[in-house]
Amino acid sequence: MISFINKNNRLTKVLAFVLLSSLVSVNLSCKKMLDVESTRLATEEAQWSNLQDTRSGLMGIYGLTRTALGSNNAHWLWGEMREGDFTASSKSDLKAIIRSDLNASYPLIQDITNWRRFYTVINSASLFIERSGEVVAKDPRYSKLNNKVDIAQARALRAFAYFYMVRIWGDVPLITASHDGSFEGKPRTDQAKVLGYAESELMAAVKDLPYRYGVDGDLDLPGLYYGYDNGRWSGALFTKISAYAVMAHIAAWQSHYLDAAVYTQFIMQNYSKSGLEYVNTTNLTASDGIFNGQDSKIALGFTFSDVYGESTSEGHIEQLVLAAPLIAKQVPDLYVSKDTINKAFTDIRDGRFGIDTLSGLTRTNYFLNYSGQIPVFSKIKVLRGGSTNGSFVIFSSAIAFTRIEELSLLRAEALTVLGQRQPAIDLLNIVKKNRGIKSFNDNDGLGLIDEIFAERRRELMGEGWRWYDRIRLAKIKGNDAKFNKLIAEKGIYWPIAKDVLKANSQLVQNSYWK
Amino acid sequence: MVRIIASMSYTALLSVLCVSNAEAESAKTTPLNYNAILRQDTIPGVKKKAVDTASWVNNVARTRGGGDSLNVRLSSLSPNLSLQQMLKGNVAGLYVKEITAEPGTEQSMLVRGLSAPIFRNKDVNNLQPIVYLNGIPLIQNNNYIYDIQKYDFNPIGPATNLLAGIDINTIQSVEVIKDPVELAKLGPLAANGAIWVTTKQAKSGVRQISVNSYFGMVKSDNASPVNAEYENRFRKPFYQKYATPADVLNYAGYLRDSTNLDYYGPAKWGDLYYKTAPIHSVDLSISGGSERANFRFFAGNTKSAGGADGTKLDRYATSFQINMSPFEWVTVSSMVNATRMDRDRNRSIRDRFAETRYIPDLSNPLPPSKQIYQWFLDEYDKVIDDNRNTAVQGYFSLNFKVSKFSLLTKLNFDYNEGIRDVFYPTTLMENNNYVSNYFGYNQRFGVTNALTFSEELGSNHKFDFELGQSFQSDLNRYNYANAYNGPNDFIKINVVEGSSAEANYLKPVDFLVYRYTDREQRRLFSVYGSVKYKYKDLLTITGLIRDDGSSTAQPGSRWLVTPATSAQWNLKNQFLKGNNAIDELTAEVSWSRIGKLFSDDRFGSGPQYRVENGWVAEPTIPGYNGLATITRPYSSGWVGYDIRWPYTDQLNVGMSIGLLQNRLNASLTFYQKDDKRMVVNTPVPTETGYASIFSSGLGVRNTGVDFGLKAAILRRPDGINWESGLNLNVNRNKLTELPGGLQELTIGNRKLTIGQAVDKFWVYENQGIYNSDAEVPVNPANQEKLNFEGTTLHAGDPIWKDQNGDFIINDEDKVLKGNTMPKLSGGWSNEFKYGNFSLSFNVIFALGQKGLNEQAANHFDFINKESGNDIGSIKEINSWQASGDLSKYPIYNPWSSVVAYRLDQDLFLENASYLKLRSLSLGYDLSKLPWLSNSKAGIKRAFLYVTANNLFTITSFSGSDPELIDYTGLYSGYGMVIPKTFTLGVKFDL
Repeated sequence: MISFINKNNRLTKVLAFVLLSSLVSVNLSCKKMLDVESTRLATEEAQWSNLQDTRSGLMGIYGLTRTALGSNNAHWLWGEMREGDFTASSKSDLKAIIRSDLNASYPLIQDITNWRRFYTVINSASLFIERSGEVVAKDPRYSKLNNKVDIAQARALRAFAYFYMVRIWGDVPLITASHDGSFEGKPRTDQAKVLGYAESELMAAVKDLPYRYGVDGDLDLPGLYYGYDNGRWSGALFTKISAYAVMAHIAAWQSHYLDAAVYTQFIMQNYSKSGLEYVNTTNLTASDGIFNGQDSKIALGFTFSDVYGESTSEGHIEQLVLAAPLIAKQVPDLYVSKDTINKAFTDIRDGRFGIDTLSGLTRTNYFLNYSGQIPVFSKIKVLRGGSTNGSFVIFSSAIAFTRIEELSLLRAEALTVLGQRQPAIDLLNIVKKNRGIKSFNDNDGLGLIDEIFAERRRELMGEGWRWYDRIRLAKIKGNDAKFNKLIAEKGIYWPIAKDVLKANSQLVQNSYWK
Repeated sequence: MVRIIASMSYTALLSVLCVSNAEAESAKTTPLNYNAILRQDTIPGVKKKAVDTASWVNNVARTRGGGDSLNVRLSSLSPNLSLQQMLKGNVAGLYVKEITAEPGTEQSMLVRGLSAPIFRNKDVNNLQPIVYLNGIPLIQNNNYIYDIQKYDFNPIGPATNLLAGIDINTIQSVEVIKDPVELAKLGPLAANGAIWVTTKQAKSGVRQISVNSYFGMVKSDNASPVNAEYENRFRKPFYQKYATPADVLNYAGYLRDSTNLDYYGPAKWGDLYYKTAPIHSVDLSISGGSERANFRFFAGNTKSAGGADGTKLDRYATSFQINMSPFEWVTVSSMVNATRMDRDRNRSIRDRFAETRYIPDLSNPLPPSKQIYQWFLDEYDKVIDDNRNTAVQGYFSLNFKVSKFSLLTKLNFDYNEGIRDVFYPTTLMENNNYVSNYFGYNQRFGVTNALTFSEELGSNHKFDFELGQSFQSDLNRYNYANAYNGPNDFIKINVVEGSSAEANYLKPVDFLVYRYTDREQRRLFSVYGSVKYKYKDLLTITGLIRDDGSSTAQPGSRWLVTPATSAQWNLKNQFLKGNNAIDELTAEVSWSRIGKLFSDDRFGSGPQYRVENGWVAEPTIPGYNGLATITRPYSSGWVGYDIRWPYTDQLNVGMSIGLLQNRLNASLTFYQKDDKRMVVNTPVPTETGYASIFSSGLGVRNTGVDFGLKAAILRRPDGINWESGLNLNVNRNKLTELPGGLQELTIGNRKLTIGQAVDKFWVYENQGIYNSDAEVPVNPANQEKLNFEGTTLHAGDPIWKDQNGDFIINDEDKVLKGNTMPKLSGGWSNEFKYGNFSLSFNVIFALGQKGLNEQAANHFDFINKESGNDIGSIKEINSWQASGDLSKYPIYNPWSSVVAYRLDQDLFLENASYLKLRSLSLGYDLSKLPWLSNSKAGIKRAFLYVTANNLFTITSFSGSDPELIDYTGLYSGYGMVIPKTFTLGVKFDL
């Protein structure tokens, strides 16, 4: 290079030198210059170094669970719609789900038969279980106890995801580690094994899970939790009672009613420690009632608290069922027909839906516009932050998996199956009494198990139970030929989405839907 | 340092090799620049002076003309707003379509086909060529502005086309650079091609003043409006044939009452929607100065309009250049451009609800009545929708020329910001009002240095050496807030608590506010060296090597070394020196490898955690229980450590010829463009939790031919002169490679198969209708009827061809059919001159592409679309017009759960070829009239002209205009039809 320079020209020499040296110096420093830290992500090295990382990692698992249940309002589509109490007004995809035409070619059905969102919960929980321990050494603010409780929640959430999936698809691949960075497909595992794993995980988690978070002087987890008190956490996280509730359901789903009775017994003895209470009808159905934001009376729920700007339009049953006069929408997508209402609500004294003896009008806690052609199911109507203003239609209701009324009825069911009628009747009557209806009496000649499930239908309407309840009832009674055939043929499960099958050749479609 | 030495030694090595090549006299030469004749200076008689920046601006990056140029003189007769519009159909190998005629909306260009598949419309942004304005690479919007949106119809913010800011009257030349070595010299920014815009330069000499102006109008054709009776009649056969009593009860509410005059009355909405709008433009430029110091000043204002829905764009552009030469050997140049654009956007309901992310009850659409539409417009007057873009670009450069050396140091910057303020009143959104404010900017700062040196060894061998280095830093950023449900329609801003004594000081009051921000920073550092060897006037050989480092590449592979080489052989000088018929004949071959930049900074860091809290319908939930969440990128895709720089290998082989005193010029270039190692989001087993992983290894090859012809057919001093120019491009693309050795890959509605084109539609083949259940074939193996993904087909369902004969219609029975990109595209321009008159016209065409008519599919699928109450259910006011010939579609059962009118079938696939008369101009040069030319005003030119644009389109496409088909190949019917414009203009040079 230098040799090209005309030696007589000093200026050129100087110039060339300046240029070359600047080139060199810039080039040497450019290695650093190219290290631009992105503000849009956390790198592998940066994550798992302090308290904020574990907190946001843990909240991430909760958020993903909420996404799994909330996207497309799938929690209700899975649990409530198939041959259930709801009728679709016009949407073809909802009509197809209601008539169990699950091979119908609608994007919605493809989307809710894709189980990937549950596996995001499972993967992120596994990753959390594997990695969060690293933070204990790096950040002194992050105690071992805190880590233990966090891991217990992650395990519980993972087990919950498995249980939820088994109810929908039957056999699902059981993956118990994150396999971070590897993307191999796994075949399906027998559902008994999956549920066994879920139950054992929960069993391990309950030891570490507290009844409440952020309570001073609490035995399991004293003091603030991640700097927040119980007001911040109640109703938002997995507690010991939540874990027992899921275990009870896992047992009941497999007809292991003895186990279900044991788990529910623990719940009945300890539920108040988590702040659970039976609620009156007003509190159940008010827009700022138990479904609004976070409430300790929800034993396991996933929140959309308006206080934190998390209100949404999708992810709530309200999006499917609310209409005028509460909001501007004229016709709800889904409604309970008058015929069905009349069949389900037989006691006119029922606070949920009955006839007011003074005015002679129907009660509006569960249904509005009963006199019109299409009643509006308005049991859950948490408009933005629990208001009643329907001008801006976003909702703040939590996705409630269970509450004490549900668990009481589950226990009553278990006890009935086990032949302990009186304690079962007592539990059933607690619920009935709270709703103002006539107590169950053996002399009425009604079947106890039928009455328990009839009460579940009324009490839990719109909470995503109807389909699973019908399955359990059919299994207990075994006298509904058509339904029992469906159970035997595994038609109670949903088909698996095309995308899932395509991405993993080891999977086969559920036989009923082939 | 090691790198420098390596590149220097490599350069030295190359030069040696090249010499030996030269001695072997391998056959190479340059393609002819067929547009050269047309590209004359609009200001005749201006001599180029010592300090003419144009020469060096061009020299910096481009040593010779390898690109094709726009005929600026003819193009300036049309009121084109954006660079894309100017170039459309005018340069071989550059494909532009305007998917909406709304002035100032974002537009795209594709150089030599698709270098990657397009799954969503925003993907096309990653394939855009880089535009240089006087050597400043212009920064564009970052794709992240789509991230927080549910729908990608528009980005957030003003969404104004940043390339609409360049006034054609300030442009000297526009060249589309396609030559591999030229592109390699520009580096990774130019991997998708480059467009080199040079403005008119400061000139020394007597003061020069130019004034250009036009006035005109934009007129949309008022399409045939219809009222509800049309829709009612359309639906009748479906109800007669297939409806159950429950379906009849569910008949669309707004169609039920035929006495409702809003819906069933006269459909006169078009009088208000399609309004003829005025447009105008005026600009002034002054240049002058001495040989040692000169300047140019330009200022202009353009008002453009869309011809429908009150859309407009106002542009103010100004530019100032100064050149100084304090010593013989130093030139100082600088330029500052400033542009401001204000855009009036459309009033479409879809765009509004996509912005608000809130969909109210849609069961009663806007009726076709003029009164109601007037009410809507009156309400719309309360809307605030301000879209403002401001841009400043400039450079400061020092050029030293000492002996054989030349050193150019240049600082350049490009800054643009967009502001959007929106307010929608309660009356337009179900008793809700809405406010949003956006402020975003893109900023690019660059330093380049280039040292050139020439050496002649004897008279036969000439060497040009060049060493260059550049550093570039980009920053994109925005702040965005939207707010719902304010107290009333008079408070149109997001009010915050003003009292510092209050607990919620500076927190919003009344409105429900969401805030978003994003920021991305990128840096690029490059060094290169090149050698050009010239043997007599016969052979030129160039070698180039460069090393680029990008902050968006992974730490282990930040740098990429790429070579380039070319050879030109002047056959005329070699063999035909005495031949008078052939004036020019050259052959050229050119090859290069260029690194491609990542469009996202996520690849810079390997495995990562991100905030992905919501889901498709709710992408913006801030956290869980008020706390931030962080997870692996399950929905956007895993990024591993194994992602390396993608690159493109390009090869040109070309010939050009000039005949008959250059009256006929032609060039033919064969090219092959191999884009390799590109990243694609590949699906993985869903049990991993991930929707997809980003994997390296997508390869797409584009091969084709660019052809240019320029002929002076008639050339008579006293008679008719006729010049004609034709440009053609034939292109086809092919998928050459998929990550991990995959043979095919399905992503959304696109299937990629190795060996097939990446722009093919993937559809069922429709073969009619089952008129009865008995017609549905039965599988002899198990006596089961043909089913669609498990649902048995019935009477009224379509016959979809069972390609694999397994009696199940599913994805395996879909076939790849038709392309979204044209096979042949180009333009033909003509200019006739007779005395002082001149007449020109320009025809553009694109042939061989197809489009899926989504509008028709949605219309027929009214049962599902209307009940969906989602963004796809929105009926705009302009949906009240008769749309194409509907009788060619069979009457299927719209309630069927196989979704009979699904979009992914060839029933809706149409030929989208078109030919358009883009412009027709008649001009008269007054300056040659004796009373003007003799006057003392010193008028050099006074050109008066009338132009009509977009007079007609020839196409068989049933929608309004095949150009409105988007880049994924769908015709949604939402695009605004390109209007006719008529202008009367004048150009003065004093």
